[in-house]
Amino acid sequence: MKNTIKMLNKSLLASSIAMLLSSGMALAKSDDFHKLYQDNCASCHGSDHGGYLAPALNSATLKGRSPTALRTIVMAGSFDTLMPPFYGRLDDDEIRGVIKHLQETPKQPNPAWTIDDMKKSLKVYVKDESTLPTKPTFQIDDKFENLIGVAARGKYGRGEGSKAIFINSSTHQKVGEVPTGTAAHIIDFNPANPRWAYVKTDTAEIFKVDLYSMQAVRSIKTGWNGPGMGVSRDGKYIMAGSFVPHNAVILNADTLEPLKTFELEGIDPDGKHVSSDSGMIIGTPYADIFAIALENAGQVWVIDLNKEGFPVTRIEKVGRHLHDAFLTHGGKKLMIASYDDSIVAAIDLEKREIIKKLEAGCVPHVGGGSAVKVDGRTLGFGTNFGDCDKTVVSVWDLDKMEVVKQVPVSGGTESPAAHANAPYVAVDIISKDRRARTVQLIDKKTLEVARTLDVGGHAYFPEYSADGKFLYISAGYNGDEVVVYDSNTLQKVASVPMESPAGIFSRGRVKYMTRGLSPDEMEQSK
Amino acid sequence: MKMTHFIVSLLAGLMATGSAQATSLYVGQAKAGAVCAQCHGIRMPSADAPFPPLGGRDPEYLKTAIKQYRDKTRKSDIMNAIAGSLTDAEINDIAAYYGSVKP
Ligand code: HEC
Ligand code: HEC
Repeated sequence: MKNTIKMLNKSLLASSIAMLLSSGMALAKSDDFHKLYQDNCASCHGSDHGGYLAPALNSATLKGRSPTALRTIVMAGSFDTLMPPFYGRLDDDEIRGVIKHLQETPKQPNPAWTIDDMKKSLKVYVKDESTLPTKPTFQIDDKFENLIGVAARGKYGRGEGSKAIFINSSTHQKVGEVPTGTAAHIIDFNPANPRWAYVKTDTAEIFKVDLYSMQAVRSIKTGWNGPGMGVSRDGKYIMAGSFVPHNAVILNADTLEPLKTFELEGIDPDGKHVSSDSGMIIGTPYADIFAIALENAGQVWVIDLNKEGFPVTRIEKVGRHLHDAFLTHGGKKLMIASYDDSIVAAIDLEKREIIKKLEAGCVPHVGGGSAVKVDGRTLGFGTNFGDCDKTVVSVWDLDKMEVVKQVPVSGGTESPAAHANAPYVAVDIISKDRRARTVQLIDKKTLEVARTLDVGGHAYFPEYSADGKFLYISAGYNGDEVVVYDSNTLQKVASVPMESPAGIFSRGRVKYMTRGLSPDEMEQSK
Repeated sequence: MKMTHFIVSLLAGLMATGSAQATSLYVGQAKAGAVCAQCHGIRMPSADAPFPPLGGRDPEYLKTAIKQYRDKTRKSDIMNAIAGSLTDAEINDIAAYYGSVKP
């Protein structure tokens, strides 16, 4: 979301509270406030003060802002956003002090996090993995497919509320909770061995989780901030990429030991040499490669895993500000969103070249993407933040690589969910008002919005269960529950309480590559 | 500008969900979700938060407490500001809604 967050609506409540505050003077040193910021704020606002899930807080962005107004945002939080109230967690002097510190501190140069730092951060919670149970210790289907993982952020983006929560998607019961310290962001499942999942947090720790016993066995800190993570098709490697610092790393998926780091930099589409955030990282079922997006450099790198030294092929000039992507054609093609050009670029991962750039509404954010087969055509769906006039979901014919339709929806969207067995493609409306409570359902056949669900909270990250029978949606921010619907009747069938749920990840994803395709699609690639 | 002005606009913005006449759980839910849940959560405040829980509490107790904040017989900078301009109908709706929630 970095760079797409706009200047904020001032909280009126905050202003009113401001007027009630008594004045006092903070005398603590700026070192203390640096630590206070890193410990309480950086997981959302960025360790380098450059913004991450939340706006940048530094001397430039906060220039001329009233300290009183800022203090009161910190105290009361900002309604209907992830900004939590720090009233009672930080005292008045601390809040004053941190605001003063922020207004005096420029955006920091990219702080380093080297391969040695990573190695030192490796933690082992279960030394001897042979002591782990050989099958799940809870009730689940034999194929171990009906498992859904939810990234529960926790109100403060850290602390007791931050966990990866796993649910049996046929009974809608929680089957495990793995504390993650800071907000869980991404959950990936190992395609080769069903027992392992990997959870990445906002602060770039990766946890290797044993799903049979529902506990973390190891963790490593791969950077300061950044959500990018992918797992190779053979389940042997993980690649992780950061916003802070600008690097990526390949890990041994078994031990989490870092094998090689990559500095993310290159020539952007305008000819400038830039250092770059990591965007999405994806493993594909068709080859032993990773693809990684360099957000600012506008490049996609393809990394060969079975060649000495993990060599990189660079695909340049893909688009301005790349972010997320999804696979089609047995994993041979990658559809990647470019925020600033409002296009989705189709990339041939075999030939390692751009096939075509397709129109994609306004500020496309395809989430995990979706693709469905309808009447002989394979249709891809792409959501967009749409901070401009156009709020559509783009539908492309993935064989012809052309736009089929731009379906008007009621607001900006972030993530589409689809399943071969479910009639609708679900998209989350994220526009900052009551629409944020809703999810719209696009009929796969008519390509029109058929229904709007009022889910509650900030409704986002829809995901179908592996069998397609149920639609899971996070009622995030203050909604504090995951709501489950019947995919056909759209009746609410269950609610799973948790603190500030966000991303939902079905273990089915390893089976159908891109949500909405049938498992056969993946067979093609083998 | 007077404080009441801010709060009135706040409520106008966040709480504009219909004219509460009879007690309405739906209206209460919308208001609680938009404002109060920021600190108190719906079922439960955050595991890490210092705010008292409201979900599942006795509606009569909640009504009394909110009214005390409103008329400042119970002092809390934050709650006095928030309750300051709530109407009786809004207080009834919110208390009824929080009372109906299972924590
Ligand atoms: C869980 C994520 C999260 C954490 C932790 C967090 N913030 Fe925020 N913060 C946000 C979001 C999201 C916004 C944007 C709110 C909006 O759009 O109204 C925000 C907004 C702000 C703003 C207003 C910025 C502006 O330009 O108006 C300030 C100031 C702020 N936060 C300070 C802090 C401080 C100080 C801390 C730590 C004590 C902190 N935040 C911790 C998510 C977070
Ligand atoms: C910015 C944070 C914040 C928000 C928003 C907020 N509260 Fe509170 N609330 C508090 C704090 C802090 C206390 C404890 C105050 C005290 O010491 O009496 C409290 C206490 C209360 C209590 C007393 C509980 C008890 O156990 O006696 C009630 C009732 C209450 N709030 C209702 C509400 C309602 C209704 C709303 C929404 C209209 C709301 N609050 C919004 C912070 C908040």
